[in-house]
Formats: sequence, structure tokens, C-alpha cells
Amino acid sequence: MNFSGLDWTVLVLTLLLIIVYGVYRSRTSKNLEGYLLSNRQMPWWIVMLSIMGTQASAITFLTAPGQAYSDGMRFIQYYFGLPFAMVVVCIAFVPVFHKLKIFTAYEYLEQRFDIKTRLLTSFLFLLSRGISTGISIVAPALVLHSMLGWDITFTNLFMGGLLIIYTVSGGAKAVAYTQQLQFIIIYAAMFIAAWWALKMLPQGIGITEALHIGGKSGRLNVITTGFTEKGFDWKDKYNIWSGVIGGFFLALSYFGTDQSQVGRYLTARSEKESKIGLLLNGLVKVPLQFGILLIGVFLFAFYQFNKAPAYFNLAQERTLKQSVNAKEYAAASQQYDQLQAEKRNTVVALGNALQHHDKTSIDQLRTQLQQQQQQATAVRDSIQNIVKKTIPDSDGNDTNYIFLRFVGDYLPNGLVGLVIAIIFLASWSSIAAALHALASCTMVDFHKRLSKKTATPLQEYRWSQTYALIWGLFCIVVAQFGHNLGNSLIEAVNILGSWFYGTILGIFLVAFYLKRVGGNAVFTGAILAEITVIIVYSLNLLSFLWLNVIGAVCVVVFAGLTQVLFFRQSGKQLQAPSYTQPET
Amino acid sequence: MSPVEQEKIPLFKKWRYWYWLVIGFLLLLIVLFYLFTKHFA
Repeated sequence: MNFSGLDWTVLVLTLLLIIVYGVYRSRTSKNLEGYLLSNRQMPWWIVMLSIMGTQASAITFLTAPGQAYSDGMRFIQYYFGLPFAMVVVCIAFVPVFHKLKIFTAYEYLEQRFDIKTRLLTSFLFLLSRGISTGISIVAPALVLHSMLGWDITFTNLFMGGLLIIYTVSGGAKAVAYTQQLQFIIIYAAMFIAAWWALKMLPQGIGITEALHIGGKSGRLNVITTGFTEKGFDWKDKYNIWSGVIGGFFLALSYFGTDQSQVGRYLTARSEKESKIGLLLNGLVKVPLQFGILLIGVFLFAFYQFNKAPAYFNLAQERTLKQSVNAKEYAAASQQYDQLQAEKRNTVVALGNALQHHDKTSIDQLRTQLQQQQQQATAVRDSIQNIVKKTIPDSDGNDTNYIFLRFVGDYLPNGLVGLVIAIIFLASWSSIAAALHALASCTMVDFHKRLSKKTATPLQEYRWSQTYALIWGLFCIVVAQFGHNLGNSLIEAVNILGSWFYGTILGIFLVAFYLKRVGGNAVFTGAILAEITVIIVYSLNLLSFLWLNVIGAVCVVVFAGLTQVLFFRQSGKQLQAPSYTQPET
Repeated sequence: MSPVEQEKIPLFKKWRYWYWLVIGFLLLLIVLFYLFTKHFA
């Protein structure tokens, strides 16, 4: 992949713009409220962009088009639970957090239960978020290494180091304002890339024809039910049920109990501004994600008329060609090229049939195209097996590389630099919020809560900056070790998150809705739920999204039972919280 | 009522109308996505 001088210029200027803007907007009062919550002065639109920027990492933008290219648009269903979660967060979580004027979500748990429940939940958050943030640094670095040959250590240090500058110096305000600018640049660049893919389609093939090609090849499978001839497939990752139910629990846990998100809407100047920011996120998230996935369908249409690589990961493809399995790969690759040529003829005929509204031909060609597509998918699967056999660290999945390979092979100089810049910006956007949240919890839930010394506001501000710096360095170290374990670690971290998210959510659900359950019961329930989640995961019965549901439900059930069986007489735990739910 | 609760809600009189808007819009999108899938398949 060629990275020209113009690309370097665009990349460096874009990154400089963000850093300078972040440092410029970082002036805030030097105390905890200013550094961690931007003095609770943010308007709703900054809150909304900040929430969206925190959720979308670099991998989101790299993977989504590739996901649509290889598996279709059904991935969108993963987000169907999010709008429901936004509503529940606005009803149950936001009023409590604003009324109590808390800094971290876990602070509320001490007021509702006791200190051990607060510290356990905050610790679970720090553990899972600390590791996953390290991986958020290394994941795009691995992609850049593969496509551009950049050194992983250098990329980790570069990506993490620059980010630390404005996150440590500016705190919540810098994070929120840079996310706003990052969001605009990212979506503008993605829009230009999509437009470029459409522009390069042959004459007579426009958006409608591209959608027909994608649809008739099974790439517009936006709604799927997960039912097969043998009944419901519980291991199917993306269908409307796992999306609405599993996605709801995941989103509720993420937006209601993960400090990296709670910390964003706590910066709002009022409860109203927090709610509007969250609800607008619920309105626009699914259509925006649909747009990103649609880029993958346009790429799919594009590659029906242009030679598509049999395997998109450049570095691994090079390794394959020099390995003992080179001949096997060459044969599979040749077979894939032949199938591509046959498909191209079918697609051209289909384009003509569509233009003449020839229904009989359209039906015949669609069946033919689907058969050819199945054969092509089978060949790509066999190539992935050769990759796994040749490179033991690799899972053979090249989804993350599809969009970037297109960018490198077909986009003009300058635009390539802009797309690489969005990888950095999207990474920074989510990592900055995570670092900030890690520093907030360490400072507020542990340092300030457990320290016996009274500190001045300036000392607390300095301590918070120090924790942000320490977590930043920790994440770079995790990234350095993480890359040795290969792509499989990325999936492992997603699963790691699902181990804890359900349990954390369950603790909050008990806090809000089971007012007679006390601290000892919920603490015991959380430990038992965590054990259950790990057992269910180790038995490999379900897709990981369902672990969120199981964790949350188990905490509620175990805490309720424990309270009834063992802590009935405990006076303190039977007290209801002082807060009462406002009318909605 | 606290000052927070007295704040004027934008567009609607009650928050619950906002909640119905968000859920209703999602359901509309799901229906449109279904029709989209069917049409182009």
C-alpha cells in the first residue's frame, strides 16, 4: 500500500489540528469538578457527540464495511437494543446520578448499599476497561502494521503518546470538544470514501443497481430472525432477537454503568441536557451505523466489476506466498479469480436485465449469482483455513482489512492520508474517554474515598492528572504485550467485557428496582452471578452477547434469594434509598 | 418540585413522548429495513 508525501501531510495536519484544538479547549478550573466533569456545563449537542465518539472506536469504522462485505448488513441488528436502553437510562439512571451530584456511577452504590459493593463494581470496571483500552490502541496499530508496514511499537507509542498529551492536560472538557471535531472529520471522510466507490462503478451502474447487486448476493440481509430448519440458532451472533434483547442489556450496561459513558453525560449542564443528548443518540445511532455498513455493500458491488483480492490482509498474504503452503494458496486464489470472472458476467447480465425490467431473467440470474457467491464464500473460507494453518497466531479473519485495502488500492493520494487519520481520530475519541473514566474512578472511588488525608482542590486536580497519565502508560504497556498474541486477543477482550457487563448492570438494577435488597445480598449475588457467567461461557452454549443477559438476570435472582434466605433481619440493608423516582 | 424537574422539556410536554418517539422511530426503521431487504433481494 503506497503512502505518499501528500498522505503524510494530510495525516500530520489532521492530527495536529486535533491536538492543538484539544489543548486550546482544555482550560478549565483546577479542581475535581472542572477536570473530571467540565464543571457540569456542557450543552446537549456536545454531550450527544461525545457519547457517540466514545462508543465508536477505530475498529468500528474499519470492521463495519468489511462485515457488510463478507457477511451482509445484518450486523446492524446489534444496535437495535440501543434506543430501548437510552430510554431506560433516561428514566432510571440519569435522574439519580444528577440528583446525587456524583462523579462516578459507582459512588451511588455506596449510598444505596455499602462501600464493598461500590469498590467491587468500580474494580470490575477498572479491570475490564483498563485491558480493553490497551487493546483499543493495539488493534488499529496491527491493521496499520499490516497495510502500511508501520512498526507496531512505534505506532502504539505514537497513538497512545499523542493522545495522553491532551487527555492529561485537558480532562473532560478537552475530551468532549475534540470528540466533536473528530466526529465531523470521521463521517466526512467515510462519506467521501463511499462516494468514491460509487464513482468508480462502471457506466450504467448507479446506487440502485449497486443495491440490487448487493441484495441479490445476500448482502442486504438487514433483518434476520436466527431461525434455521433445526429451530433457533443460539450461537447466531446477529439476528433481531439477539440484537434487541442481548443488545439492550449490553447497551444498558454500557450507557448506564460504564464510567466512560456515564462520565460523558454527567458533564451536561442539567438533567435535561443529558437526556436530550442520550435520546438523540438513540435516534441517530442506527441510521448512522446503517450508512457505514452500506459502504461495505458498495465495496461489494465495486468488487464485482474489479478484481477482488482473495485475502485482504496484505502482510499475511505476503507470508502465505512465501510459506510451505504457497502452492495450496495459489491454487485456491486462482479458483477464486475464476469464480470472480464468472460472477462478473452474471452481474453484467443482471444489470442489463434490471435496466429492461426483465423479471424472468432477473430471477434466473439472482439464483445463479447466489450459487456463485456461495462457491466464492467457500473458497474464501478455505483460504482462511490455509492462513490459520500457516500462521498459528492468526484467526484467518480479514474483515478488518477489506475497507483499508480498497482505500490503499483505489483512493487518490491525500484521501488515503485522511482515511488513515480517521483511524487515529476514532481511536483517540474512544480511548480518551476511557482513560478519563479510569482516572475518575481511581481518584474518586479509591484515592479520595480511602485516603485519610484531606487534599486541596489543586492537589486533587494534580492527582487526577497523574492517574490519567498512569492509566495512559498502562494501556500502552498492555498494547505492547497485546500485539504478540495476535488478532484472537481482540475477540477475547470483547468476551472479557461481556463477562463483567451483565454483573455490573445487575447490581444497578437491584439498586434501582429491588429496594428491600441490601449490600451483603447484592455483593453475594454479584459473586455468584460472575461464577455462573464464567461457567456458561466455558460450556460454550451461547453467543457472547447473551452473557450480558445472564449476568444481569443472575445478580437480580441471586441477590433477591440471598436477601430472603440469609439477610432478612438485617436492618441497615432494608432501608430504601433516600432518592425517589421522578415522574416521567 | 426541584429546578431540574421544572426545566422546560424541548418539543414535547412530557419526557414520555420523547421516549415514544425514540422507540417508534426504531420500530419504523425496522419495518423500513425489512422492506429494504425484501425489495433488493
